[in-house]
Amino acid sequence: MSDLIKKLEQSIENLKEKKCRLFFFVQDTKGNAKASVSYIYDLALTLKNAGFNTVILHEKSDYFGVQDWLGSEYMEKLEHISVEGQNLQVAPEDVILVPELFGYIMPQVANLPCGKVVICQSYDYIFETLQPGQSWSQFGFLKCITTSEKMKEYITRVMRNVSVDVIEPLISNEFSPSQFPPKPVIAIHTREQRDAVNFIKLFYTKFPQYRWISFRDMRGVSQSEFANILRDSMLSLWIDKESSFGTYPIESMKSGVPVMSTIPNLVPEWMNEDNGIWVQDIITLPDLVADFLQNWLEDNVSDKLYEGGIKTAEKYSDVETHGKKVTKLFENLIESRIENFESEYNKQTQEQNA
Amino acid sequence: MENKFDLSVILPIKTNMVRDFDEFFKKAINSILTQQVKCNELVIVHTNEKSLVDYLEAFDFSDLNVVKVEYNGEPNYSSQINLGVEKSSSKWVTFFEFDDEYSSIWFKNGKKYSEIYTDVEAFLPIVVDVDSKAVFAGFTNEATFAANFAQEVGYLTNDMLHNYQNFQSSGMIIKKEILENYGAFKSSIKLTFVYEFLLRMTYNSVKIMTIPKIGYKHVNMRPESIFWDYKFGNNTISENEVKFWVSSAKKEYFFVNDRNIKYEESI
Repeated sequence: MSDLIKKLEQSIENLKEKKCRLFFFVQDTKGNAKASVSYIYDLALTLKNAGFNTVILHEKSDYFGVQDWLGSEYMEKLEHISVEGQNLQVAPEDVILVPELFGYIMPQVANLPCGKVVICQSYDYIFETLQPGQSWSQFGFLKCITTSEKMKEYITRVMRNVSVDVIEPLISNEFSPSQFPPKPVIAIHTREQRDAVNFIKLFYTKFPQYRWISFRDMRGVSQSEFANILRDSMLSLWIDKESSFGTYPIESMKSGVPVMSTIPNLVPEWMNEDNGIWVQDIITLPDLVADFLQNWLEDNVSDKLYEGGIKTAEKYSDVETHGKKVTKLFENLIESRIENFESEYNKQTQEQNA
Repeated sequence: MENKFDLSVILPIKTNMVRDFDEFFKKAINSILTQQVKCNELVIVHTNEKSLVDYLEAFDFSDLNVVKVEYNGEPNYSSQINLGVEKSSSKWVTFFEFDDEYSSIWFKNGKKYSEIYTDVEAFLPIVVDVDSKAVFAGFTNEATFAANFAQEVGYLTNDMLHNYQNFQSSGMIIKKEILENYGAFKSSIKLTFVYEFLLRMTYNSVKIMTIPKIGYKHVNMRPESIFWDYKFGNNTISENEVKFWVSSAKKEYFFVNDRNIKYEESI
């Protein structure tokens, strides 16, 4: 029996016994909470719990980790490997999953004999690190996992030959409404920090009578603190025109906090007239916040707004359904790889027998 | 939730012989009648001025449970409030003025917050201050939420009062037993009797929280009101006297009883 056939046999066995490794490449956020990284960790842990051999792959050996903001469970349960300073052994049956932001490493892994999947959570980053004219498929990335049907539609249009599956983010149960009335605090989440600072300055200048209302910039806090601040807030402000999904507003909704935001360029599919206050133009936002405040201070905010938010958040909170969906997707992926390896195995054995 | 709060509204009135009394009074009473959660009673502590007695006798209070208490001494806001508290029959009391209005959600929120924050003994409303033409002038009691100011967001503390005096007791909802234990207003103190009262309460560890909801509308400097009188009326007080009363408030809050403080020009 040739070495190739033996290797194929071994690969098929590893795939069938879920011994093949799923390498999830992640960004080092240096201890800052980031929904896109949380999404990948959740995928990896869900699969680990379902018996898959998942590994977190990071660039540098001094990786900060996610224990401070996501929880130590993710660090303890998942194997972490650094690319730096070691020769990473990747077997043909393994799968490497790379965020779209790391497009620049796609050429580096193009020749690895493993399976390759893009995890795309932001349309805005797709071409960020690719050279003009480059596409994922030319580096062997023919599969993609994304967060919404709208993203799938977009990716399918710009990355032909790539099959796209949707796994919506799971909103942690750490987010829940408070037993206590909210405080006069507005939680604000923006793409760039300067957007938050500018908004706050503008608001206080325009409405000095509300200078006693506090804003909390949600940047750089742990998930549990993040959840606590949201729970205490009377309004959640989201300013991110380039967002591709919008985890933050759904976390707010799940915390029982009304959301106000500018409508992103890629309108999220969960966004409707009942679950938030949505505006096209950021210029009008301070006035709307002031109007909302006045209504909140007078107990005039419609219950429907809170109910609409909770209803939306429920769709992204079903751990069991989410787990089944993730597991099924990867079982199908493994199944198709088994078929490919078996087909190659049959071809090789036939050639050998002939 | 039961649609009633165990609360007595204490309303002192000196005279009805002031400009627009009827208009103010109707609005004030209507603001009690339109509460989303009802109170037990309205205790009106009035002087024996005949026109006022007749006016109150003729006034239609609808289904409000009104207790009228005649005050026979020299008219004095603090003394009248104290008598009203004494005559009230609820667990909680709230201080009212005839030219002011409660917001319709105030008793509802007082009840709600008192049931949630069971260790809190007094609740302040966010007060909307308006001028005599009903134009918005600003908020009061909101400073308990100001960033880098409050030790515990939403709570009034003794330290805070030493740095900032602008808090109001009008509209405040407080347990009657707290007033019985630590005294209510000191009638000998002019100008700063509310300040001294709040200093005394916080000094005695009474937990006071501001409910972040608009609860009260206060007319600032209505002609002929107490504070207008101090500034523009027949009882104008000098800068020295202002200093004296501020200083007295800071000295007197250690004592539960009114020590009959008097200002003399020679001081």
